[in-house]
Amino acid sequence: MRGKVAIVGYGRTPYSRAKPGEHLPTIDEYLAWAADLALRKAGMSKNEFDNQGLGVAHAEASHTVNWSAAVAEGLGISPKILLRGDQGGATAAALLVRAAALIHAGVVDRVLVLGADTPCTIPSVAPGLPLSPERTRGVFWDFQGPFGVMGANGQFALVQTRYMHQYPITRERLSNALGKIAVATRYHASLNPGAIYRQPFTVQEYLASRLLSDPVRLLDCVPLVNGGLAYIVTSVETARKITDRPVYLLGFGEVNNYYHGSRTRPDITMTGFAQAAPDAFRMAGVQHKDIDIFEPYDDYPMIVLIQMEDYGFCKKGEGAQFVAERNLTCQGDFPISTDGGQLSGGQPGGAIGGFMPLIEAVTQLRGEAGERQVKGAAVAAASGFGGMTYARNNRSCVTLILGSEA
Amino acid sequence: MAQHTPGKPLPEISDLTRPFWAAAKNRKLVMQKCKHCGTLNFYPKPWCIECGDRGLEWVEVKPRGTIYSHTVAHTVMMNFPAWKDDLPVVLCIIELDDGPRMYGQLTGCPPEKVHIGMQVEAYFEDISEEAAIPKFRPA
Repeated sequence: MRGKVAIVGYGRTPYSRAKPGEHLPTIDEYLAWAADLALRKAGMSKNEFDNQGLGVAHAEASHTVNWSAAVAEGLGISPKILLRGDQGGATAAALLVRAAALIHAGVVDRVLVLGADTPCTIPSVAPGLPLSPERTRGVFWDFQGPFGVMGANGQFALVQTRYMHQYPITRERLSNALGKIAVATRYHASLNPGAIYRQPFTVQEYLASRLLSDPVRLLDCVPLVNGGLAYIVTSVETARKITDRPVYLLGFGEVNNYYHGSRTRPDITMTGFAQAAPDAFRMAGVQHKDIDIFEPYDDYPMIVLIQMEDYGFCKKGEGAQFVAERNLTCQGDFPISTDGGQLSGGQPGGAIGGFMPLIEAVTQLRGEAGERQVKGAAVAAASGFGGMTYARNNRSCVTLILGSEA
Repeated sequence: MAQHTPGKPLPEISDLTRPFWAAAKNRKLVMQKCKHCGTLNFYPKPWCIECGDRGLEWVEVKPRGTIYSHTVAHTVMMNFPAWKDDLPVVLCIIELDDGPRMYGQLTGCPPEKVHIGMQVEAYFEDISEEAAIPKFRPA
């Protein structure tokens, strides 16, 4: 499947923190808005997706059980194939894999993939924490809530504490590395009018931000926003008719519910990228030195650092040293999160933030990133990372290798 | 959607999970054990995650373990008022001597003294008419 499909259009709506007095588009409006942006970019009409594919990400604001079909109804599209992704932040990348397989098999020629969420306007007991079914049922409600472990801050903090124990790294060196990652994302956000937090800060300011769930700080945490994103993937033949700048899918790897070691006592400092990334590199026929841009899943800097290690850019336990030695900005030798990432850009719901690494990689590879453009970027690695398991690490890892040449 | 209470979240108890909550009410820690391969598991699952056998029985486990990881929470997400009153809270992944890991709150220890490898024991606190939860303190 290497080089057999390409992304020909993408869209990202403005984001909103739903402040009082703002006009508040619904999730349905965000989906249409993102789709409209992607269709315009590709020069296509929604009617070209009748009898083709439509992919829709599950969101916390999804309001019917058969969500993807309801979205098709709202948009007036009659797809042959509906794909619904429910892998949290891995959904966008996973839907690209599914769409590529369907196109490669000849079932459809093209797929429109959409995601939007409005976490800031769903009924909530705390700012930005929607009372959706995933937070009020099942293991989260029954075996985390009563025990106090009720969200990503605490769960990532537990991973980070364990990491500091297992590897020869001081708390200070690790904090400095995480601060450098957070500062780089904010710098990129300052260059991106679409990012929600754009005022640069320093590593010192990062270190001075208050601890929410020690060692996780305020400036480690992703801000939720309302927003929508979309992309269009087609066969290579169609892509070349549509655009002179297709972005090819060169490789992918995916693993869900990864255990590093035994199922009851795994090493929680390792993610499924240890398996997904090598698979993707092998399929693409590229090596680490060939990667011009790394777009990790970046809701917490610690997860970015762990991805650098599990992708094999450096050895396990040496991520902080790697970060210290590299320039992570768009002018640097290892550009990451070039749109400001979710950390500074905003996360349109836990499931939809995963569109951002993919769409920013496409933006960069098409040379359309404006002030934050990485010069000569030809090959990018982008992550999808979804959900948190009970007392382990995350649920779904997808690695994509994308390129401007097939 | 589960009913939202002003205190701490209460579990929705099902036939699958009831033995755990009922045992905790009786000051016992129980977990599922696979009759086929002997794997002990937590949280409650529909079959053995090692071998896929549906024959699981509830057995009492030693209420002792070590801290596998920890965090000091200065905010608890979803901001239930009852949690707010307890802050800061020490939240841990406990590795039980009998095998499985579980989340647990550590009390009776200043946050700065908590460390990985620390030996802890469970005690139980009622949270409703039907349920109690294990919490942990230094052993």
